[in-house]
Amino acid sequence: MTRNLLKGFAASAAAALLATTALANPYEKYDGTTIVVSWPSLAHFNAAETLVEEFTEETGIEVEIDALQYLKLRDRQILEMSKPEGDYDVVSWVVMWKGEYVSKGLLTPLSQFYTSGSLVDPLYDIDDIADAYLQNGGVVGGKKGYMPGASGALYGIPFGAETSILAYRKDVFEEQGIAVPETYDELTAAMTKLHEAGIPALTSRGKTGHQVTAAWLFHLAPMGGKIFDDEWNPVVNSPEAVKAAEFMRHVAKTGPVGIQTFGFGEASAAFLQGDAAMHLDTLKIAAMSRNPKLSKIDGNVGYALHPTDKRCGSETGGFALGIPDNAPNKEAAFLFIQYMTSKAGDQRMVELGGDPIRISTLKNNADQYPDYAVTAEQLPCADPDWRPLIPEWNEINIDVLGQALTQVITTDDPIQPIMDEANEKLRAIMEREGYYTWAEYRAQQ
Amino acid sequence: MSGVQLNDITKSYGAVNVIPPLNLSFDEGEFVVIVGPSGCGKSTTLRMIAGLEPVTSGSIHIAGKDVTWARPKERDIAMVFQSYALYPHMDVAGNMSFALRLAGTPKDEVEKRVKVAADMLELTEYLHRKPKDLSGGQRQRVAMGRAIVRDAYCFLFDEPLSNLDAKLRATMRTELAILHKKLDRTMVYVTHDQIEAMTMADRIVIMEKGNVQQVGSPREVYNNPKNLFVAGFIGSPSMNFLDAELQGAEPRIVGQGFDLALPPRLQQAVQNHGARNVVAGLRPEHFASTEAKGGTAESRFAPIALTVEVAEYIGSSQFLAANIGPKQVSAAIEVGPDSAPLQSGDYLFDTNRIYLFDKTTGEAVA
Amino acid sequence: MTDIPAHGTPTALKRPRDLSALVPYFFILPAVAIMLAGLVYPVIQAFYLSFYDWKIGTDFQDAPYVGLRHFTRMLTDENVWESIWVTLRFGFWTISIEMFLGVSLALLLEKPIRGASVFRTIFILPLMVSPVVVGLIWRYLFDARIGWINYYLGLIGIEPQVWLGDADLAFFAIVFTDIWQWTPFIFIIVIAGLQALPSEVLEASKIDGANWWQHILFVKLPMIRSILMIALLMRLIDVFRALEVMYILTGGGPGRSTELLSLHIYNRAFDTQQLGYASAISVLLIVIVTLLSLGILRMGNPMKDKSDI
Repeated sequence: MTRNLLKGFAASAAAALLATTALANPYEKYDGTTIVVSWPSLAHFNAAETLVEEFTEETGIEVEIDALQYLKLRDRQILEMSKPEGDYDVVSWVVMWKGEYVSKGLLTPLSQFYTSGSLVDPLYDIDDIADAYLQNGGVVGGKKGYMPGASGALYGIPFGAETSILAYRKDVFEEQGIAVPETYDELTAAMTKLHEAGIPALTSRGKTGHQVTAAWLFHLAPMGGKIFDDEWNPVVNSPEAVKAAEFMRHVAKTGPVGIQTFGFGEASAAFLQGDAAMHLDTLKIAAMSRNPKLSKIDGNVGYALHPTDKRCGSETGGFALGIPDNAPNKEAAFLFIQYMTSKAGDQRMVELGGDPIRISTLKNNADQYPDYAVTAEQLPCADPDWRPLIPEWNEINIDVLGQALTQVITTDDPIQPIMDEANEKLRAIMEREGYYTWAEYRAQQ
Repeated sequence: MSGVQLNDITKSYGAVNVIPPLNLSFDEGEFVVIVGPSGCGKSTTLRMIAGLEPVTSGSIHIAGKDVTWARPKERDIAMVFQSYALYPHMDVAGNMSFALRLAGTPKDEVEKRVKVAADMLELTEYLHRKPKDLSGGQRQRVAMGRAIVRDAYCFLFDEPLSNLDAKLRATMRTELAILHKKLDRTMVYVTHDQIEAMTMADRIVIMEKGNVQQVGSPREVYNNPKNLFVAGFIGSPSMNFLDAELQGAEPRIVGQGFDLALPPRLQQAVQNHGARNVVAGLRPEHFASTEAKGGTAESRFAPIALTVEVAEYIGSSQFLAANIGPKQVSAAIEVGPDSAPLQSGDYLFDTNRIYLFDKTTGEAVA
Repeated sequence: MTDIPAHGTPTALKRPRDLSALVPYFFILPAVAIMLAGLVYPVIQAFYLSFYDWKIGTDFQDAPYVGLRHFTRMLTDENVWESIWVTLRFGFWTISIEMFLGVSLALLLEKPIRGASVFRTIFILPLMVSPVVVGLIWRYLFDARIGWINYYLGLIGIEPQVWLGDADLAFFAIVFTDIWQWTPFIFIIVIAGLQALPSEVLEASKIDGANWWQHILFVKLPMIRSILMIALLMRLIDVFRALEVMYILTGGGPGRSTELLSLHIYNRAFDTQQLGYASAISVLLIVIVTLLSLGILRMGNPMKDKSDI
């Protein structure tokens, strides 16, 4: 429904443009405007600065970038967006925050711009953007609040989005005679074999808190597990969830030493430095392994789909660009977002070392970057519901699952009781936050 | 051999030699005061006896034992410091008994000895006070008490009275002298104050720049100073020194503004010595007014003219800052408490009390 | 006018013409203002916040008043008690070892022997390093994969240990790091105290017959008692404030094995974003620190014990 609606807006906008021809240049009206962009200081965004300069050159719209450390970004943005009039015209959020931003009324729905023929580029082709990225980063209000659905609306365009793929050491696999694993069973067997050969198998995040939970979630989706069923009942003690936890323990036992302390940086470094044979996390590892400053293994890395178990499923994450409700220059901001995420912009991002969001871009560059072909194939499996993007997630993620899974990978305690206990804690939080109000209401009827 | 002996003691800090070979011997039970200006090496000498400062060469014997390299506690000594050096965290009883407790003395014995010492020093009611709650004089007595309870062979005092006010110092001098009589122990006492030396010592050791200038009883060092330094150091106010020439067959000393006959004893000495140019030493207390002697001078009193600058009234005496010729001198003149301020004019000097020193060596002519 | 004592007396204040009596109050005004603004206000604010359920990023006006609910929750919150227990264990081991090492080293290096001053300078370097850097340094030293500690242990045939990923080893690691960082603090103030001791008192003790051990135990240490108390007090308060090093080194993990109370409060406030609850726990922290500090002051008040000898 939403999609059709959007298409409708786009079509009418295009018609309007053809009819008037009042302006020779859609950017002319905003020449000399300065917009302020808040985004994280991360590789993709640092690379985008060149494209931003090109944007200013082409459009005459000045851009001031406020690049902040990723952990500080959210507090700063909320502070700015809560003012009657904010400084930011464009904000970049981690998909996790979108629900909170929208529920607090901090963002502008993009639909209002798609009604304007003078703003929308008819060649933009929003359908070319990987659907999982768009749904995960930009749509708010559908099923569960963060999923697609008729009640959802578009608030942002993905930029710097990602999914997970398997990266492996071609040389090591060849030497050990190991086939590239397609399923979790094959992956488990390969890890055992590598470990027995004295080679650290799969690197992973494992630090207490959201890191260890993230690693577990990567495996939970393909194994068919969820955090909640459709009625918000926690199911982290399901057989699938316990199997994912058992797999985590196997990862910690066969992987590089110190997984229990690894965040993403340490985990990827272990792979890039040659201390692990596999990396099953963000596709960003491909760009990192090509970077001689980070990597000792360039040329020896192969890419494959995230292994499957009951189903195929990979993470979706990263950032999206949107416009604050209190932005002073909303239309110029829209033009900026449209420019950065257009087909040409996406291609430029690849050339500048960033991550593309469009299927066409992935396909057009697959010859140069072998991981792009894998990514294009992986994206249909990307699961926007691999983790619940609800306000309580922080507490669940860090306080409950982060603790339980630490116990899983640092002890030999039986796993089922650990996950049972976590499930109870999780239920208590949801109870406290009123998620069972409807169920209780019906039970009383 | 008992007592305390220092044999050829030297002390150097690197290339700087502060004590040249030093030989001293103190008898058992003797109260010896080492006196000298600051920096003369007296404290260093005492600290070497105590074992707080190692000797560079030579040997030290205490009670017949060679203790040159013994640790302080092995020397059977007790010491009283200038700052009292009380243990601030212990009460008076604790301070006094510390050494005994360390030595493992039985408890009742410790208590007994502390009580005896406290009684002697009138500290009994303060036994449970901390040093910070005591007056300066009381602290001083605790420091003494700490030494007394040790019942050591030798007591060492390092300027123990210099932090007290003048009145208390005088009292403590007397108490110390009494204490010495009671305890009958060898005591070595270092001070820069010659009055302390004169009042308390059985024998005085006068030091300057590491060298012993003279060793003798208070009487000896006062009456027969061996040289200019001792003469100037002992006696208060200090001796006046005037350059003089010996003239005549019965030699007189003549200088600018004075002309004094010598007593026969000195005439003989001068002739034996043979020098013409001398330094005459006149102690301030040997001047007298002509009135006091009834105007009729005894033969040993010779007239001498003083130009008075200031006359300080100190009761029965007046203390003059005056000139003899161009030379400034001081004189203490007994005139009785009711006399008017003294004026310039003729005064008398007791020629029996003239001291003569060789002008080049500074040694006494005697 | 000039003979009015420098400390204005109440009688002086009764005469308004005499403004000079107010001068002393003027001089302490900035200090009082700074203390109120920097010390008293935040504490009151924390206390105030603890009665509200304020989530980060929302308007405080919207935060519901919850009365004592945070405090009752705290009493039964096993995570709070666990982190208090971690903090007490951490404080016990670090402070006792730091006091022992710091005092011992100060006693050994007090004498002006050759090289002591160089060693002293090197030894106090950790104090000059910012806590964040200390955390980073030791995180890399303890790193299981690339850390020096595992490397050198490997040279003598010891298997690599996951220092920061095992509950007991991680606890050891934070204790060790804290000792590395703070022993110099004890050392430096104790050595300053020792060097300020009057030499004659120390000589008196030698003459009184104290051997090396008795000299230290009965004379030196009691005489720097007030300094030791201050050191103890400052370390104790620091243990409850310590955050940066642990935050970087372990983040409180694995599990909650190294989650000190201060870090727990931080995580509550910024990870799970319950500012009100975090404030309530910080009120508890203030109470605990105050009680422990009063306990130490009862053992010997360094302010009271000022001797003028």
